[in-house]
Amino acid sequence: MTRKQLYEGMYILRSTLSEGARAKALERIEEGIKESGGEVHKVHDQGRKKLAYQMDGAKEGHYYLLFFSVPTSALDELWRDYHLNEDLIRFMTLRADEVKEEIKFHELPQ
Amino acid sequence: MASDSPEFRKKRGKSCPFTAAGWKGVDYKDIETLKRFITEQGKILPRRVTGVSAKFQRYLNNAIKRARFIGLLPFVGEEQ
Repeated sequence: MTRKQLYEGMYILRSTLSEGARAKALERIEEGIKESGGEVHKVHDQGRKKLAYQMDGAKEGHYYLLFFSVPTSALDELWRDYHLNEDLIRFMTLRADEVKEEIKFHELPQ
Repeated sequence: MASDSPEFRKKRGKSCPFTAAGWKGVDYKDIETLKRFITEQGKILPRRVTGVSAKFQRYLNNAIKRARFIGLLPFVGEEQ
């Protein structure tokens, strides 16, 4: 039996994609997670953001933050697919402790 | 400011803003906070300047490097 682990993944999709193509690209990511035996808990659409530096010629990207859980062994396979995905400029997967319903931070006092 | 009682004398001067605020960690998505600990060129400030504790400097380091990778913070140079 494989253990399921909760992850948070940040994905940057190309901002040059049309609305429909972007929705499809996101679906492909979610689909990939489900097919490998995982589930998507929460999708945060963080909108278009300017990249701090150029990535593969892109200056802007559309950010998504996903909370999902997959069997630990399935990540390798997912990453391979992500690297082949032309619509995905960059992604980062981190282990998460909890599903965050809101992305909010405390302010650090001066 | 630290008090003058003997127990506190050693910790005089700078105190860690994260410890003081009771934070548990630093998130790479929290760029407003991270920006306070980098220079205009995007370099990470040494803790001798900021007074951050060793533990939180490590958390900061990781968070800043993650933010850089995902394009939220620059590796070098100013933001336009």
